[in-house]
Amino acid sequence: MALRTSAANTHKARRSLLWRLHIDVPLLLGLLALMAFSLLVVYSAGGESLALVERQVIRFGAGLTVMFLLAQVAPRTLKEWAPLFFLIGIVFLLAVIFFGESSKGAQRWIDLGVRFQPSEIMKLAVPIMVAAYLADKALPPTLKHLVISLALVLTPTVLIMIQPDLGTSLLIAASGFFVIFFAGLKWRYIVGALGIGMILAPIMWYFTMEEYQKGRVLTFLNPESDPLGSGYHIIQSQIAIGSGGIYGKGWLNGTQSQLEFLPERHTDFIFAVLGEEFGLIGIIILLALYLFVIWRGLYISLQGQDSFSRLLGAALTLTFFVYLFVNIGMVSGLLPVVGLPLPLISYGGTSIVTLMASFGILMSIQTHRRLHSA
Amino acid sequence: MLKRREAIKDVGRETSMFFVRCVIALGIVIGLMVFLLVREFKLQVIDHNKYQTQSENNRIRVQPIAPVRGLIYDQTGKLLAQNRSIFALEIVPEQVDDMNDTVERLRQMFDITDEQVEKFLEQVKFRPKFNSYAIKTNLDEQEVAIFSANQHFFAGVSVEARLERYYPYAASLVHVLGRMGAITQDDLVRMDEKDVREKKEMGTTRQRYAATGKMGKLGLERYYENRLHGEVGSEKVETDVRGRIVRVLEREEPQAGEDLHLYLHLGLQQKISQLMKEKGVRGAVVAVEPSTGGVLAMVSEPSYDPNMFTGGISSKDYQKLLTPERPLYNRAVQGTYPPASTIKPHLAFLGLKEGVITPSTRIADPGWFSLPNNDHRYRDWKAWGHGATVGVMQAIVESCDTFFYDLSVRLGINNIYDGMRQFGFGQKTGIDIVEEKVGIMPSRDWKKSARGEPWYNGDTVNIGIGQGFWTVTPLQLANATAVLANDGIRYNLQLVREFSQDNRFEANTPVMAYHQIDTSDGSWLDLVKDSMKKVTEPPRGTARSAFADAEYIAAGKTGTAQVKSIAQDEEYDATKIAEKFHDNALFIGYAPFEQPKIALAVMMENAGGGGSNAAPLARDIMDYYLLDVLKVNQAETASTDEESKDGAAN
Repeated sequence: MALRTSAANTHKARRSLLWRLHIDVPLLLGLLALMAFSLLVVYSAGGESLALVERQVIRFGAGLTVMFLLAQVAPRTLKEWAPLFFLIGIVFLLAVIFFGESSKGAQRWIDLGVRFQPSEIMKLAVPIMVAAYLADKALPPTLKHLVISLALVLTPTVLIMIQPDLGTSLLIAASGFFVIFFAGLKWRYIVGALGIGMILAPIMWYFTMEEYQKGRVLTFLNPESDPLGSGYHIIQSQIAIGSGGIYGKGWLNGTQSQLEFLPERHTDFIFAVLGEEFGLIGIIILLALYLFVIWRGLYISLQGQDSFSRLLGAALTLTFFVYLFVNIGMVSGLLPVVGLPLPLISYGGTSIVTLMASFGILMSIQTHRRLHSA
Repeated sequence: MLKRREAIKDVGRETSMFFVRCVIALGIVIGLMVFLLVREFKLQVIDHNKYQTQSENNRIRVQPIAPVRGLIYDQTGKLLAQNRSIFALEIVPEQVDDMNDTVERLRQMFDITDEQVEKFLEQVKFRPKFNSYAIKTNLDEQEVAIFSANQHFFAGVSVEARLERYYPYAASLVHVLGRMGAITQDDLVRMDEKDVREKKEMGTTRQRYAATGKMGKLGLERYYENRLHGEVGSEKVETDVRGRIVRVLEREEPQAGEDLHLYLHLGLQQKISQLMKEKGVRGAVVAVEPSTGGVLAMVSEPSYDPNMFTGGISSKDYQKLLTPERPLYNRAVQGTYPPASTIKPHLAFLGLKEGVITPSTRIADPGWFSLPNNDHRYRDWKAWGHGATVGVMQAIVESCDTFFYDLSVRLGINNIYDGMRQFGFGQKTGIDIVEEKVGIMPSRDWKKSARGEPWYNGDTVNIGIGQGFWTVTPLQLANATAVLANDGIRYNLQLVREFSQDNRFEANTPVMAYHQIDTSDGSWLDLVKDSMKKVTEPPRGTARSAFADAEYIAAGKTGTAQVKSIAQDEEYDATKIAEKFHDNALFIGYAPFEQPKIALAVMMENAGGGGSNAAPLARDIMDYYLLDVLKVNQAETASTDEESKDGAAN
């Protein structure tokens, strides 16, 4: 089916201007819709501050620019540069460990004129590297290729985990594993890995998890045990969402958010504001928009002309889903509190730029097909 | 390289496998999204009501509003107790992250003593949550300004204006009005007990005081706490997470407490207070209106300024009040003293009524009395006696002890006990002050239970001159005087004449309005009253010099109470004994004689003889009240009684 679709496109001699600019219109529309939604909610959650909205607009602008720039880079070029990109990322991660700046108990930042988190680079570098590695191999991968792929994934994951930044390291691990999954990882390995994971979980609990991480898990399991302390976030966000009902309390009328009972309301917990003010209807609209973007991402990946494009595109798309699932799950009390923003909706963070970069790659995959094969 | 790869890779198989994986992935994505939606459905539809309620509870708070305390007026409408706005630094403990740190930083800006901090923390521990409590009161304008400029550093702290009690006449009325104090843990327990007693739902009274920080602790403030307090209001407010009020949703106004209107005459009260201060007297004066039992003045000296207690008195200032002069002690209602000779008219009336003496009974007076078969001599104050024989009238006028030693033995303690209780001795006067003491009206039973000893005849002899075990309060003495002036009617003494609220007035009706003593043979009472009139007159009256040239006719009785017992053959000599063992000077009296407007009791600690010390004070008081306040018509009183001609002419 994928082949047939691409074949149909071959005959369209003339491409639209946007196509020549390497822009995928449906994906762009989906992203713009999410951004518009974001501005609405950020305005409300930020106490009707236009300054906040302005800064969010600037960030979206930066994200769109990065997306546009990356869309110009052909997948082949990306693949060629992948090892260097990955290596630089590893060097930065090591630099963080030895020279990094810490804030809030974690050492994540590095100062190169501008302060940035090298782990953000890895969000892209890891799936690109693994996809580049596996693309040339016969798929499904052999055990040897699998082991090397796993090493490529786990090295940066561990480096980030010891910063410590559990949320990001899990995301990066996920993005790497998704590449391997789409490469045709045998189901028995997947089942086996899940089994090992279950055995490893208690070991991690005792040996590698930091106290604050354990606290988050415990709080997740029973938020009422500490209603004014660590359970406060979860309880208040559930109250916000639940009190929103089907239709919501209306834009700017959410009492939980406007009266500031909800912590982190314009960043990690923005979903609760949305749920409170726009109700179940608003949540369905949000999930529909997300689903559309994911569908478009997978659709583009299916049309990818080489393994690299396909694996990378699909893995980036699913990573995007992990973001939103972990965030919504956390805010709704389904998952422990992990410091992840709601993709494209939460205010601020370098995550917007990184996410838009991955959509730029998807657009590149979509729009470089003809040019590439011609 | 490319060729080799092409040879190994099976593009077709890879593509279809990738397609399958994409479908599976999309399936998982959709599955997990449905899972999320199910969760949101549970939160927003199934459990919506629960979260709706929690959200309301988060933001909506019902806060009580303190009612305005009732005011207190004297009989002429002068304001004796009012409410004044003061600024206090208040803290809502639940809104403070680190109490120790906040208090410490406040102390760097303001002068807050350890004691104030302690009191504050004590309150926080026991009073309802989410209320604000004062850590420092009486902020001046500069302090208010300083705090306002730094308010943003102090979450949960604010400057609040509160109404506090203010007593414009300060020390002269504290023993009547009493004072306010912070509500303590014990008060809260008493509130609960009240709920149980009145079969109200537990917590009703606490709720009523939810916004109130202080309550009456003494005097009228305490006795009429229930009426003065008023009814608490409430305000439904929306607050943000820091408890700041965003807007008021509903408001139920509090109802101000009832005002009290007293019988008390401020001018008279101040006059008495001033006279006592001038003489440097420790003691009490109680003046009542005989026709009502209303208290016109009730002074206890020395005294203190109750306004010092507003906002909490420092222990240093409190120490200053703990002097040997005991200014905190309300002598008028709590002081119990031997009545001495002031009760002779009452005993004489009882003797006549019981028939143990008649108006013509005369007894020999050698200057002492002794019981049969006992050589102990009970001495008269006049060592050589009041003449060969003494009758009842002369005995009162000259205050002959021998006559009353004899009379008391004739009456016996049982008769005396029953008779004197009729005048209100040994029981509360019913005045609207909780702290009232009853003193001791001795009886056989009393002595057995209090001392574990039988009653001796010698005990009865001392009772005859108001000494021995007998103690009374100045209030009881004034009341017993009013009974004589009133021809046997005894009212419950009352300070409050009426209550008012929103211009509706309600008269104060004491539980027991009055009690009538049997005076069926009026001549007994007239004889006693005539005798009391002669006390203030020449030639022999013990108060004749004090009442010389009075423009009205007064009846009275002097008393001089021994504080220290003197040995059988020892002479009392004031210069030789410590001041605290000097005699107490007493006087009771009423005037004008025919239509009494004022009956009073004067009790002066360690002041000496009653005739020379207490009676002049009574004269000044009566002069002021009858001539300056009431402007009693002299001609009218003169025409009703021939004997007054001398006084009126001068």
